[in-house]
Amino acid sequence: MPRRLTILIAEDNPADRMLLSTIVSRQGHRVLTAGNGHEAISIFEHEHPQLVLMDALMPVMDGFEAAERIKQLAGDELVPIIFLTSLAENEALVRCLEAGGDDFISKPYNPIILEAKIQAMGRLRRLQATVRQQRDLIARQNQQLLNEQQVAKAIFDKVAHAGCLDAPNIRYVQSPLALFNGDLLLAAQTPTDRMFVLLGDFTGHGLPAAIGAMPLAETFYGMAAKGYSSGDVLREMNAKLKRILPVGVFCCATLLDISLQKGTLHVWNGGLPDGYVIRADGRHAPLVSRHLPLGVVEPGNFDDRFDVVPVQPGDRLLLLSDGVLESRNAQDEMFGEQRLLQVLDDARPSESSIDRIQQALLAFHGQVQDDLSLVEVTLVDGLTLTPAPLAFVGTPQPSPLDWSARFELRAETLRNFNPLPSLLQLLLQVHELRHQAGTVYTVLAELYSNALEHGVLRLDSRLKASAKGFSDYYSERQNRLRALSDGHVCIGIDVSHTDTGGRLSITVDDSGPGFDVERVLQAEYRAEGLSGRGIRLIRELADGFSWRPGGRGISVEFRWDREA
Amino acid sequence: MSDVHLDSAVLATLQDVMEDEYPVLLDTFLKDSEERVQLLHQALEAGDGEGLRRAAHSFKGSCSNMGATLLTELCRALEDAAREGAIEQADGLIDRIEREFAIVRILMRSERQRFTLG
Amino acid sequence: MTITSQLSADDQELTIHIRGRFDFSTHQAFRDAYQSVGATPQRYVVDLKEATYLDSSALGMLLLLRDHAGGDKSDIRLVHCNSEVRKVLAISNFEQLFKIE
Repeated sequence: MPRRLTILIAEDNPADRMLLSTIVSRQGHRVLTAGNGHEAISIFEHEHPQLVLMDALMPVMDGFEAAERIKQLAGDELVPIIFLTSLAENEALVRCLEAGGDDFISKPYNPIILEAKIQAMGRLRRLQATVRQQRDLIARQNQQLLNEQQVAKAIFDKVAHAGCLDAPNIRYVQSPLALFNGDLLLAAQTPTDRMFVLLGDFTGHGLPAAIGAMPLAETFYGMAAKGYSSGDVLREMNAKLKRILPVGVFCCATLLDISLQKGTLHVWNGGLPDGYVIRADGRHAPLVSRHLPLGVVEPGNFDDRFDVVPVQPGDRLLLLSDGVLESRNAQDEMFGEQRLLQVLDDARPSESSIDRIQQALLAFHGQVQDDLSLVEVTLVDGLTLTPAPLAFVGTPQPSPLDWSARFELRAETLRNFNPLPSLLQLLLQVHELRHQAGTVYTVLAELYSNALEHGVLRLDSRLKASAKGFSDYYSERQNRLRALSDGHVCIGIDVSHTDTGGRLSITVDDSGPGFDVERVLQAEYRAEGLSGRGIRLIRELADGFSWRPGGRGISVEFRWDREA
Repeated sequence: MSDVHLDSAVLATLQDVMEDEYPVLLDTFLKDSEERVQLLHQALEAGDGEGLRRAAHSFKGSCSNMGATLLTELCRALEDAAREGAIEQADGLIDRIEREFAIVRILMRSERQRFTLG
Repeated sequence: MTITSQLSADDQELTIHIRGRFDFSTHQAFRDAYQSVGATPQRYVVDLKEATYLDSSALGMLLLLRDHAGGDKSDIRLVHCNSEVRKVLAISNFEQLFKIE
């Protein structure tokens, strides 16, 4: 079914104009006529014809100039222009094309060819209009999507805050909307002076990739601030993602748990490319993926074993998303692991590997890549960061200042439960302790792990003297804990008034054989290796320190002055 | 060169397309063509080769639409000559165009009469 | 077709062949390959001999197949994995969920 169009005929020759307009109007179209280019433009402005038949040679203004002006006036809209000219002259045809001509028709006119060309141009016009509408729709929807993403990102930032990503020893590269590429970077300082860093990469793109980030960040920051261990945080994140994500959506992630006090890095990598420990002298070792990504396996089958790596000040830890390795250049080559390793080998020891990697990527692609994530943590001695504000439960009420409690944790509980966060929450009901919450927690955590590891599990801290033994120590700890069937750790807490204020006393003892506290303390003063820094640290941090004969229990004390 | 003054098949098509307007088309062509012949003379006298070429080109187009075969070919020859700068041939060609147009005019008037009477 | 599937004569084993890139664009075809078979096969084989590339959404699709095939009780082999494909599977430790050959 031919469509009716409004067609402008610009032709100076009256007989040809008359013939052409009769042919075209007999074919059912509405015809407007002009005798020169100037008239053609003026009619075009007033009547907006949908198609123009234009003679090339006309007085006043020729067809070439009129065609250019009409194309300008039409802007985005396709107004096809068919030039009425003899096809014999190439030079003239080129001028027609340059002026924006879409087709030609030569004299003498053939009504059938003319109608065929008009219909073809009409179809082209409708096609172009559809494409234009769809393009505008896509542009509007894309703009809307970007707006929504910005709002979503703002909400995410409020929930997740920035953690301690702005710490002076952390450098990272991430696009502002990386969240919608599925990339997630979190860092928190725990109450015990550990730093947790998580780089995650959800499958997919857009909203589905971003939606899992919110609960993950909430779990990460919430539990880190309450003093949960990295293993607790990891298990909870996996369980939560497994519960909420559909099958087939998961999160490749690396979790770093850094303790400079202990000189340890606990690392768990499930599905991300190798991270790296880069030593002060430039040597580097990979942090390899050993696990399924988060959100894939049921909590009961989840493997929460961390690799343990000794670290010291000056070391740097580098994590990267697969966007770094898989980014492709114009020749469709991948950047790949070999190039990355070359960059690490070539970097000067003092140099940030992030700068080097970015330079290498820029050289490789010729332009900046923004769909990748990189983070580098430099281990700096004496760096004190304010831990995330502790989450206090309940409304303010007067402190309980005169009480005691005793907990006995037996084998099954020791295997499966970390009592420290709950104990910390309990202790922090005493408002007077809140300003030293981190110290109290660190000491409590040290006492507990000493009792558990050396007392109940009977691990020898001298194992930790070498790097190899160091990692053996932690896998042995895991094995023995899993097999534990007997033994206990007791934690006694006593809060009471003193003449000047108050005191907290914590006593931890265990079912183990006890140890020679004096000898350990002496040994620790001499030790420069990796072994047991715990006891000395406890003594330095607490206001009072004593031990029971035989070393089967240690007591510490914290004191505070009554507020004026 | 063709010796066909007016192509009767073209005229039949034009009559078919134009219906009642057919004689008006013939009149319009004849009136316009007289002006175009004058334009050819003026361009030649002014020594304007490009103007001569354009005028010949335009005239050629409308002659071809009207089925004036020989006239179309004479215009093409003039257009070619003007393009190649062979002005010395132009005088003779314009003469021949004028003579051929006189024939076409007579034939078209009789065609017009035939249509009106028929 | 980049994805085709074939049921063994006894209806017990379904083999899914992947050709070219195994990524999100093949999502629907991959699902159809195991959802539209009339029978209930006991074993699945994903033949990656002609797969050139595998991304994380392909890993997600494999997990969907595993879920469909009975989760922890499923019997799925990924065969003819080239070294690139093997590497992607290894980083994600998928050998814990699938038999990789």
